[in-house]
Amino acid sequence: MKRVCAVLMMLALAALITAPVCATAAQPPVLSTTELVENSYKWDGKTVSFKGEVLQDLMVREDGTWMNLSDDNNTAMGVFVPKGVATPTISHTEDYRTVGDVVLITGVFHRVCVQHEGQTDIHAVSVTVLTPGSAKANPIHPDRVVWFVVLAGLLGLVMWFYYRKPGRGTEH
Amino acid sequence: MIRRVWREDFRIIGYYTGLVTIGVGLLMLVPMVTSLVFREWASALDFAISAALALLVGYVLALVSHTKSTPGLTHAMVIAAGSWLVAMVLSGVPYMLSGHMKSFLDACFDTLSGYTTTGMFLLQDLDHISQGLNMWRHLLTYVGGQGIVVLALTFLIGSTGGAFKIMVGEGKEEKLEPNVRHIAVLIWRISLIYLGVGTVVLGAIAMANGIKPYLAFFHGAYIFMSAWSTGGFAPYSQNMLYYHSSAMEIASMVFFILGSFNFALHYAVWSGNRKEILRNVEIVSFTITVLTTFSLVCLALMQRGVYPNAVALFRRGFFQLISGHTTTGQSNIYARTFVREWGPLGMLATTIAMAIGASAASTGGGFKGLRMGIIVKGIATDIRKLLSPERAVVTGHYHHLHDNVISDGVVKGAAVIVVLYVLIYVVGAVVGMAYGYPMADALFESVSAGSNTGLSCGVTQAGMPTLLKIVYMLEMWMGRLEFLSVFTLFGFIATSFRSMRRRKAAV
Repeated sequence: MKRVCAVLMMLALAALITAPVCATAAQPPVLSTTELVENSYKWDGKTVSFKGEVLQDLMVREDGTWMNLSDDNNTAMGVFVPKGVATPTISHTEDYRTVGDVVLITGVFHRVCVQHEGQTDIHAVSVTVLTPGSAKANPIHPDRVVWFVVLAGLLGLVMWFYYRKPGRGTEH
Repeated sequence: MIRRVWREDFRIIGYYTGLVTIGVGLLMLVPMVTSLVFREWASALDFAISAALALLVGYVLALVSHTKSTPGLTHAMVIAAGSWLVAMVLSGVPYMLSGHMKSFLDACFDTLSGYTTTGMFLLQDLDHISQGLNMWRHLLTYVGGQGIVVLALTFLIGSTGGAFKIMVGEGKEEKLEPNVRHIAVLIWRISLIYLGVGTVVLGAIAMANGIKPYLAFFHGAYIFMSAWSTGGFAPYSQNMLYYHSSAMEIASMVFFILGSFNFALHYAVWSGNRKEILRNVEIVSFTITVLTTFSLVCLALMQRGVYPNAVALFRRGFFQLISGHTTTGQSNIYARTFVREWGPLGMLATTIAMAIGASAASTGGGFKGLRMGIIVKGIATDIRKLLSPERAVVTGHYHHLHDNVISDGVVKGAAVIVVLYVLIYVVGAVVGMAYGYPMADALFESVSAGSNTGLSCGVTQAGMPTLLKIVYMLEMWMGRLEFLSVFTLFGFIATSFRSMRRRKAAV
């Protein structure tokens, strides 16, 4: 009997230990813009996760902040972070010379958000910075400098030929 | 009998095309300066190279074909159609150098889309391009809306000299003033005043929405240029969705509706004739077709229960519809939402609105409200004739700046252009369907290209078939120039070959 009790105790302990793991496994799936838009009815009102680079403008409004997250080539999703949701510091937002922070948000997806007059968006409940942004190099190619010099030289020559006759460019 | 083509014909065409090309080269200095301001050195160099190349080509053309002859109607048509092609190729160079295009054809697609104020794009990773390239995209569409030849006329060509004919070839046939240069200056004056007002208004809204002040100014300028020219580009891939702002959408909507009106109407109102707004056949036609197509959109969206309330339905449904009808193409929904949520009826209503399009001699495309009005009034007149006694003299009228009598010739002229538009819409749709796209999608996208709208339901992508890209490009080009100058160019090329063969045979 004691042995049975011990086994049951062990099983109960195991269940207690694994319970949080199961909860973690049920974490919302990380979805893309394409998946959300293509299957908008399926995900409408569900809690989802979304990962993307923060685009240039964090738009602070009265009731929260809008951020646009780019998750692929020419696809991005608007994420609304209501006031009161803890938001880590976004140190970098995207521009030509900067790679924006990559953040993971969890929130409720709205096919047509009632609060935002029918917009497709996600209302965040948590925001985590996964990868901080950094400066982006856009190096100047030396061959392009050579091309410019050659073209500018030729242009100067042709313009000299064109304008050497007085009155050119003013007729017609 | 078609006349032969002589060397002087080539000189005239080459010279004027050269002048337009010089204009394109000078225009590239604007994005170059923008890149320098934002310290985007590599991008600035790309624009410097592109400007030097365009200016070089322009000056070489002007030098080797220098002439004092003035262009006739045939030359004018060929110059208008040809200049757009030369401008398309040279304007594609900075796109290609940016590294954001998969091929030079894609770059040409984007520049033609810009110049024709269509707004479709194949550019990769739009969200990461330089401010210089963004300025270039929007500048193309702004200049394209007024007509690149109008630009060249304003700054490079001194007096009349057949220049009005070139403007007609570019689809700007309204003669507002006796002197063509005055017309060009007038068009630019109206557009530049609106640019100033629009940039301030939209910039202020962007700033109030939380965008940094110095960037808000650029957002304002970009969105204005896109709206006023009924272009449809936006600095980010989400288009108007990026701003999450009804104020931005309303302000932009006001500007693109204004941009879709006939320049002659703007001029009439500016000259104090405000009643013209209420009487003009294009405005009447526009109001009726907007109400009809919006009713269809509402029906479709309510049937499917797409939006939870009237506010959401109006903000999304009306914006999309009016954006399509004015052939702007700005969007506050995702492209695939048309297919996934709006359904066939919603897409069809938007397709009809795009096909009809904006006003004649405006920045917009499509059949044009004037032609719709003339055809409907022509049909009504014919019905009245049938119902009247045989001896009765029945005449129809339409009001466009002044009262005009509807003659068979006017109705026929309007009907021919409408038929040609339908033809290119159908050809584009058939090619799309041949590649396996569903009919609704293929028709939507084809009409969007041919009417220079730019709304997309997801067909237009860098990975789409090459032939479909070329067909859409032809649709954009023909649709913008309203066929005549394009057909004249084709005819001129054919006649040139025939003349060459005859000369060889004579030798």
